[in-house]
Amino acid sequence: MIQSRTQRVIGWVVLILFLIIILLPFYWMFITSFKPNMDIGAYPPSLFPRHWTFAHYTNAFVKFGFAKYIINSVIVAVITTFLVLALASMAGFSIARLPIRAKTPTLIGLLIISVFPPIAVITPLYMILRQIGWLNSYQALIVPYTAFNLPFAIWILRNYFLQVPGALLEAAKIDGATIFQTFYRIFLPLTTPGLFTAAVFTFVAAWTEFFMALVFNSSDNMRTIPVGIALFSGQFNIPYGDIFAGSIVSIVPIVILVIIFRRWIVAGLTAGAVKG
Amino acid sequence: MEAQVPSLPPVQARKSLQASDRRSGYGLLSPAILVIAVVTLFPIVYSVFMSLNDIQLTTSGYKMSFIGLKNYGVLVNSGVFWHSVWFTVYYAIVTVIVELVLGMLIALAIQNVQRLQGVSIVVMLIPWSLITVISAQMWGYIYNGVYGVLNYIVTSLHIVSQPVTWLGTPVSAVISMMVADIWKTTPFVVIILVSGLQMIPKDYYEAAYIDGANKWEVFWNITFPLLRGSISLAALFRILQAFGVFDLPFVLTNGGPGNSTESLAMLGETSLFQNLHFGIGASIAVSTVILVLAVCLIFLSAFRSMVEGDAA
Repeated sequence: MIQSRTQRVIGWVVLILFLIIILLPFYWMFITSFKPNMDIGAYPPSLFPRHWTFAHYTNAFVKFGFAKYIINSVIVAVITTFLVLALASMAGFSIARLPIRAKTPTLIGLLIISVFPPIAVITPLYMILRQIGWLNSYQALIVPYTAFNLPFAIWILRNYFLQVPGALLEAAKIDGATIFQTFYRIFLPLTTPGLFTAAVFTFVAAWTEFFMALVFNSSDNMRTIPVGIALFSGQFNIPYGDIFAGSIVSIVPIVILVIIFRRWIVAGLTAGAVKG
Repeated sequence: MEAQVPSLPPVQARKSLQASDRRSGYGLLSPAILVIAVVTLFPIVYSVFMSLNDIQLTTSGYKMSFIGLKNYGVLVNSGVFWHSVWFTVYYAIVTVIVELVLGMLIALAIQNVQRLQGVSIVVMLIPWSLITVISAQMWGYIYNGVYGVLNYIVTSLHIVSQPVTWLGTPVSAVISMMVADIWKTTPFVVIILVSGLQMIPKDYYEAAYIDGANKWEVFWNITFPLLRGSISLAALFRILQAFGVFDLPFVLTNGGPGNSTESLAMLGETSLFQNLHFGIGASIAVSTVILVLAVCLIFLSAFRSMVEGDAA
């Protein structure tokens, strides 16, 4: 590649500026979560905290019960992720490696479903959930989240199953394995990277979803983190210190997840290039 | 011991094996399809039915009475509805175009110094993994008209002389919301584009430069055509996703000032769960579906003519 020195310098400058612009709002949120209320509402704002306080963190947990939001989010996101992996790996294997009919229409149908905005289904789902008494329950979120994340996971896993040689299927059959044994014992272990990608996309989607969580689980005990943070409110002012304390606490686990799984996230973004 | 040889003639045996494989295939596929159908397909169809009814909440359930297209009549004659359609469409188009152009410029600049690993990729992935509600609260504090840091920055730099109420006027509220969206999504676009750029074989560029092409010509004749497919697909998905925009206006502006940032999803939510107009809410949902399908069709036909244009 023909590449001049200036090009490299420009590249580094742009990259560093870009990363700073991404990080600055986080810095602001972080230091605000340690400022006393007096400094949070001060103008001109102090760019470094002059007085440090831990009060917002205790407020978030004691006054607003942030711990239960975290527990709710973890339960919903973890169960959704396992359900999606189980159902999507079977479906992806079937589409990639078994002689079923109408494969292309199925794939295109999945693609179309995956782009429908939640508003399209939220009214009837609400009515159904109300009728069967599921409002304000974990399953009210787990079931819709599973359905909405299945199409992308099936696509990703199908692509990984296609990379496993089809001859393995014949070989396993000669050895007397059933189709399910072949899938579970031979194919599934070979698609671990695909499972990582599908898992992290599903987890992040379930962790960040707001609309359905707000509408289906509005009672304080069943709120997930996004709903909790959106509805934090004070009597006179928006309690930004408490909001950001809760936000920082809920960002940390996801950042750790991103650090561990970054390779598979990039693989998912570039292979699928479809999910935001 | 000798293995049992199947007594069926070979061709027939293979056929019945094939049929049993197919049955297993449907067995493995059906749980996923069932969940998707129950949670997405059935409700969409049910929405259409609901939108043709007047729906009253009762203590035990609902009372529906068929009223034909009356709900749609209400929508068509409502300025609020048309405003939210217009806002949703231009919000989606403007943010996605800015994200793609900005993302392309950044990707072109950093592609030679960025291998999509290490610290910088983690930083770029953090906004993608961020709960939108948190980013909305964060920007709300930054934009605050009384003590927001943005006013401090722009007045210190003498860009404006008086603090601005960023979320207080329709135009500035819309722009502020777009900036928050662009901040969150551009890093994601950059990752996709950098990986796309790095998949283009280097000798294409070398050959072009040896032939005396300049950078501009190389971009329009090599880079852009090779990336066009993935760009269009990414754009389509981002636009459709932006059609569902809800979290950001809900927290940042609550649709205001007035209804200047009220998206279709927000209007739907308001009529459903605040005004309990379930029939109207369902007809807004159906309108959104129609809009999404229309955009898909426009994109598909544009994409096809583009591909055919390439072949010609």
